[in-house]
Formats: sequence, structure tokens, C-alpha cells
Amino acid sequence: MRLAYEDRFSELEPLLARVEKPSRYIDHEWGTKSDPAAPFRVCLIYPDVYEVGLPNQGIAILYAVLNQQEGISCERGYVPWIDMADAMRAAHVPLLSLEGAAPVASFDIVGFHVPHEMAVTNYLEALDLAGIPLLSADRAEDDPIVIAGGPSVYNPEPVACFFDAIMIGEGEEQIVEASRCVERMRASGASRIDILRALAHVGGAYVPALYEVSHEGPCTEHGFTVPRAGEDVPDVVYKRVVRDFGATDPVPQSIVPYAQLVHDRLSIEVLRGCARGCRFCQAGMTYRPVRERTPDQIVGAVTRGLSEMGYEEVSLTSLSTTDHSCCAPILSRLNRRLADTGTRVSIPSQRLDSFGVDMALSVAGEKKGGLTFAPEAGSQRLRDVINKNVTEDDLERATRAAFEAGWRRVKLYFMMGLPGETDDDIRAIAELADRTYELAREIVPKGQRGGISVSVSVSVFIPKAATPFQWCAQTPDEEVKRRQQLLIHSVRNRAVRVHYHDADTSLIEAVLSRGGRDLSGVIMGAWRRGARFDAWTEQFDLARWEDAAREEGIDLRAVAQTPFELEARLPWEHVSPGVSRGFLLREWRRAMKAETTPDCTRTSCTGCGICPTLHAENVLVGDRK
Amino acid sequence: MTETTASRLFRLRTSYVKHGRLAYLGHLELIHTIERIVRRAGLPFAVTQGFSPHMRVGFTSALPVGTSSDAEYYDLFMTDYVPAPAALDALRASSPADLAPIASGYLDVRAPALTAEITRALYRIDLDLAVRLDVDADRLERDVSRLLEQGRIPYMRGKKEKELDLAGNLVSFAASQVSRGRLALELDTRISNEGGLRPEILLAALDRLWAPAGSDFEGPIVSRGIQDFERIPRYSVCRTAQYAEDADGSLLSPLRTDEPSPAPKSVSSVPSL
Repeated sequence: MRLAYEDRFSELEPLLARVEKPSRYIDHEWGTKSDPAAPFRVCLIYPDVYEVGLPNQGIAILYAVLNQQEGISCERGYVPWIDMADAMRAAHVPLLSLEGAAPVASFDIVGFHVPHEMAVTNYLEALDLAGIPLLSADRAEDDPIVIAGGPSVYNPEPVACFFDAIMIGEGEEQIVEASRCVERMRASGASRIDILRALAHVGGAYVPALYEVSHEGPCTEHGFTVPRAGEDVPDVVYKRVVRDFGATDPVPQSIVPYAQLVHDRLSIEVLRGCARGCRFCQAGMTYRPVRERTPDQIVGAVTRGLSEMGYEEVSLTSLSTTDHSCCAPILSRLNRRLADTGTRVSIPSQRLDSFGVDMALSVAGEKKGGLTFAPEAGSQRLRDVINKNVTEDDLERATRAAFEAGWRRVKLYFMMGLPGETDDDIRAIAELADRTYELAREIVPKGQRGGISVSVSVSVFIPKAATPFQWCAQTPDEEVKRRQQLLIHSVRNRAVRVHYHDADTSLIEAVLSRGGRDLSGVIMGAWRRGARFDAWTEQFDLARWEDAAREEGIDLRAVAQTPFELEARLPWEHVSPGVSRGFLLREWRRAMKAETTPDCTRTSCTGCGICPTLHAENVLVGDRK
Repeated sequence: MTETTASRLFRLRTSYVKHGRLAYLGHLELIHTIERIVRRAGLPFAVTQGFSPHMRVGFTSALPVGTSSDAEYYDLFMTDYVPAPAALDALRASSPADLAPIASGYLDVRAPALTAEITRALYRIDLDLAVRLDVDADRLERDVSRLLEQGRIPYMRGKKEKELDLAGNLVSFAASQVSRGRLALELDTRISNEGGLRPEILLAALDRLWAPAGSDFEGPIVSRGIQDFERIPRYSVCRTAQYAEDADGSLLSPLRTDEPSPAPKSVSSVPSL
């Protein structure tokens, strides 16, 4: 029997006294939209704490779309922080939804957002707190249908056993179809397996139980995934894409949190997709084609969103906002309109080659925090290998514009362990950082030089599915640590701060990016040993993963650090963002020759295959320069 | 700070409640929330000049996390006059029910800040007592008197050693029986520059007083939002009223609605908040 849908806040309330940040759990925020009386209920869960999950745009979109549907109510859930999770277990309080404070296990559909690989143990933590069996195969007829979706679904195999369906691609149309499908099948009294079979016919839905792993023919040690004999399901599940992005509501967000968040602001998605073609970048492949909103729609959305929600900051979000063909006029229109209201306009990160003086002046108004630029690699050769298509001159022009416009803090973002990287490339990172710092000293007036801050943030390259680098191995963690030391010792100016990502976390991220269904036992073993909130550096402990892998007979380093043969069938090729294998191979070969490939929104089609496969196309509202 | 453009400002004082689950909001979360209510209400709020412009609004003293209130106030500085009833309607329409505004009225832009003006706060504490504890309203009053005679209660706030000056801060008190096992304690307290009486410190002292002889306590009383007590398994605290004191000691509402509402005044120079 499924748990009853009922308000159980009174069981949670006595625990609030004992946990940090009780406002994470109290809900009743401004702008919630659920309807407790609706006959069909969906609970969308972000696999981290409230203040990390609340700003998520994907959940905001699905929440708005579902709550507009007649007869469907959507609530939200988050993962309680460890203090609260332990208190709830001790007090036998199950995981509750936010709006109705009802057991998550009482919903018809429980949907998890999949933001990145390191969230895996938190799905298990949430399912366990909710009292829902961890494995799809163990769920009873009455248990909720547990689905997942989000940016990080393009190698679904490591988590395939935990979910009844994994939704590939853009969810705003798909989530409604999936909900209606489950509703219809439940009403007809269908068995669980028949509900899953029906779900597999929703476009972009991958139902792992209807597929199996094969090792026949050239493949990796993780095998490849094919439909089970007799199941009527697609060989390849293509992602869903919204063809007319401009027709979607530009202000899906409605909820105003009480708790103070990292990204506590109105977000307007000004464009979707990026065709720059950086070869390491999964989002650059999976969000194509490029679709822009018009300036009128964006300005109107900002005005409406601010007056409905009362935020004091608006962020124009996308993978690359400065690439919008009308970015500069949009910023100046917004700044005129928002003058004297203490409202800030921000853009999440700035492209080096499209960030000019005019843009420098029009973001963030009076208050200038830091600017982040991402050259990604130190040398021009390596930037050509990854197809970053920015030059040292671009960096100098952009940072000069920033310092002259009054910024004092610049952060440069790089990756380490890229294919073909040499020690010279690492030293080149240090040289770029030093040059940027010296440029700041030259431009910033004498009395203000104390405020100058140039920092370098270096992450470890993780080979990702559906990118031209999907065949690559991760650089061994010991070698990464050596290069990190080399970088630190190569920076001449002591004022330049160097931050680098933890090589241990990156190892697990690579394992989860490259492995197959054979990893599910390792994930469960790590969680059973206490792994949760693995995305939080201070919570992560490699030993739990190593113990779990040993028990399963899996060598984590071999999974992360063995390159794949170009002919091998890969563990994830049964789900696809629409990019053709031929294009990825061609890009891989060009990378090895350090040949760049242009951006199809600025030149002609480069043949990635996504538009014809998905019957979609780039939609630009102006000319990109 | 220089005020270059502040020629005409209006100061609207609004009383509001902090009820239900929203009692768990921290002070910064509350400030943030009120600012967003004002923005949603579309009122012509004034913005500070300078490096980081923000809304000009003043608040009453911070409530501990978990303490509710029937009588909180904020002063909003505005660049235009909006009739108080219209402003109140707009604020009500954009506030969560548990932070509902009660009344709004204008006052002199140069009047003292809320935290300077308000010197008295009334609290009501509802206590559920442990089953075996034999305490009635009379005993509760006697025990508060005993603590009052001791004068001061030492406690820790963070890493700082502090003292609650009970004799100086507690003006009067009264206990009553609400139901079996539940008592109410009403406190009339003073708020000064050194802070006010935090009711949970008094409760912690009572909890220790009621402990069986020979009980051991680890260290001093620690001030936290919500305390975990042995002999008071559940309690709730509500700030029921706040007052300014007149020269003769009589209590005035910060929103003197019984007085004729003063006409909006404009001034040429405005002290910054």
C-alpha cells in the first residue's frame, strides 16, 4: 500500500530546533502553485539541499508547466542536510514534499533532477529517506514511478537501475506526456511493467528495465545497451527538443525563497544552446540547436518577473549569454529601465571574444563583483585542440575593458589534463595569469591597486559522453596532482591565487561519466558506507568509493583511465542528443591535428547532424558578429 | 554619506505579524523577505546612494529564530506619498499570510529609528511541562521571583560569556494555567542598547531550577534560537507587543493610530539610516 498523502509537518517541526538553517524545511514560500486537491501528483526533487536546488531553472520550468495542467499538481522536494536526515531517521519521519509536507512516497510520480554525476548517492539517500526501494526492479505495484531528467543524462547507465524511466532532453513537453501516460495507465489498472512499457513510447523516455547490456562484438568492458528481446522500444532514444523556444513562457520561475541562496535572483533564459563547438563540452552538444528569445520578450520578461517576485537582481542566463545576437542593446535597455531601483543585471559568465567595453559598462551597474573568463587552456595550440577559438589578444582586450570599466576582481577558468597536454601548456596558464595581473597593475589607478584580485581556477578534464573527447581517458590522478604543483610553482606573482579541483572527486566524476550499468553496485556500496552530498568537498571521501569498488571487483582507476577504441560500441550510444557519430569522430581527428571548426551560427552548417535528426533548426533574432 | 538627491522623502511605518512556520526565519531572511514584499507591492521605495544601493528600510530588534510575534514594525522610506490605506492594501496583497501587515501610518522622517524608540517588549511563553514535574502557576511565579532575586543569569552566546540582567530588564511577570500540563508566562521587559531579555535564557534557568537535586549540567546556559530542554519538552514564545516609553513612563504604541495621523512632511536634508 502506498503511504497516504497527508500533511505531516507536525512530525517535522520538533526537529527544526535541532538542525542548522531551519528555513530550508518550512516552505510556505511566496509563489507556490501546487494544488493539494488535484487527483494526480508529481514531486520533483533536486538532489541537494534547498538553497542549492531552489534556483534550478529546469525544475522551475517543469513546475510551472505541470501546475498549469488540469488535474495535475506538482510539488518540490530537496535532500535534507545530514543533520536533518539523521534526525528524521531517528524520529521515523519519512522524506516529505515541501508544499504539502506529505510523504514523497505518496506521490504518483517522483522525478529527480540530474544536474551532474556527483549527485548519484543523493538519489539513493532521498529514495531511502522516502521509503521507496532503491532499485526499480524491487518496487511494488503501488510505489511511485521514479523518473529522472536533466543535463547529465547522456550516460545514464551507471544510474539506470535506480530509475523507472530516464527522460532525455528538454522536458517541458515530455513531462506532461509522461504524467498523462502514467495517469491513464494507472486509471486503467495496468501493471507496473505495462506502465513502464507505455512510458517508453513517450518521446525521449529511456526505460532501462526494457533494455539489457550486451558484450557482443567490439565494445568496452562495460558493454553496450540494447532493447530486450521482444520489447517494442527504440534502439536509440533521441533527446526531446523544443522547436519553438520563443513560444515558451520566458518567466517560468514563481517562487521567492526565504532562505538566502547563492543564486537568489530572477533568472531569464535568454537563449538555449551553444554552437561554439568546444570539444570537451557536453552541454555544447546536448543543448543544440541554438534558439534565441527576442529583445522585446526578454525585456518584458524581466519587468514582469521583477514585479511579480520582487527580486533585486536579474540574471540573463544561458550557456553563453554574450553570444546573443542582441546582447548589448538588451543590456542597455534593461539598465535604462531599472535605473534608480537598486536592481542589478548580471550575466553568468563572459565569453572572452564577445565581451566588449560597452558590455563591461552595462552589467552589474554600480556594484562590481568579480568577472569570470574561461580561456580553458593556457596555450594557443591547446585551445585549438579543444576548439575554444579565443586568442590571447581576446583575453587582453576583455580584461582591459573590465579593468578600465572599474572591475578589480577577475577569475580565469582553466582545465587540466586535456588530451595532448604538455608541461608547456601548464606553464602557459601561469603566464596568462601573470600577464593579466600585470595588466591590472598597469590600468588600475595607484590608490586602488590593493583591490586587485586575479585568481586562476583549474578543474580536471573529465571526458564526457556525446562529445568529440568521449573516447579519451582521464589523466591519472597522481599525474594531475603533479601538474597542479607545476602550475603553482610556475606562477610568478604571489598575488595571483590558484585554486584547483580535488583530484579524488574528479576521479569518481570520470568513473561515473565513462562507466556502465556495472557501476550501480559501486554506487550503492558507497552510499551504504555513508557517501552522500558527494558534491560537497568536505563531505566527499574517496575511501568509501574505493572500498565499495573493491567489494564489487571494479578498479576505479581503470574505468577512468583506459581510453576507448574508436570502433568500440560505447556504453551510452543508445541515448543521443542527435549528434552523429561521424561528426564526433571527425572532430576528434581534427582535434588531434589542432584544427579548429567554426561556429555554425556565424558561418555555415558544420554538419553535427542534430538539426536534421531532430527536425529542428537554429533560431537567431539578429546577426551574430 | 552624501545625500545628493534626497529632497522629498516620506516615512511609512507598518506593523506586521510573524506567525506560524515563519517564526523560524532568521533576521536576515526576514529583512530580505520584507524588501521583496515592498518591491512586489510596487511602492516608490527610496534607495541609498553609494557603492551598493539598497532599499531604505528600518526594522525592530531581531527576534530569536523560532520566536513568533504579534507586533513587529518596519519603517519604509519612500520618494512619493501614497495614502496609507492604499500602501497597506498593496503590502497586504504581496505578503505571505504569516507576515501579514496590520496597520500603516506616516511619521516624521527625522523621528528616531525603531530600535532607538522602542524600549519595552511584552512576551507570552507557552510551556508544556514534563509529565512528572509538579509545577503550577503559583510555583512558576515563585521560581521566577527567586531568579529575579539572584539578579543575573550567566550564559554563553557563541564563544562570548554574557549575563542576562534579569533585575534590570524584567519589569513584571504573571503566570497562568492554560490546561493540564501547560502554563503560560507573560513577561514585560525592557530593551536597551545592551539588548533585551531573551526569554529562552530565562526558560533555561527555570529548566535547571526544576532539575532533580544532584543533576549535572554540562557548562553554562547557551543561547540558541530554539532550546532543547529536559523538563520543558515543548514551548513557544511570542512577542505580543512593543512600546515606546513617554517621558512620564507611559507606554506608547510605535504606530500611534489613536493620534491623528500626521500629514506627510517633506524635508530638505535627510539623515542617512
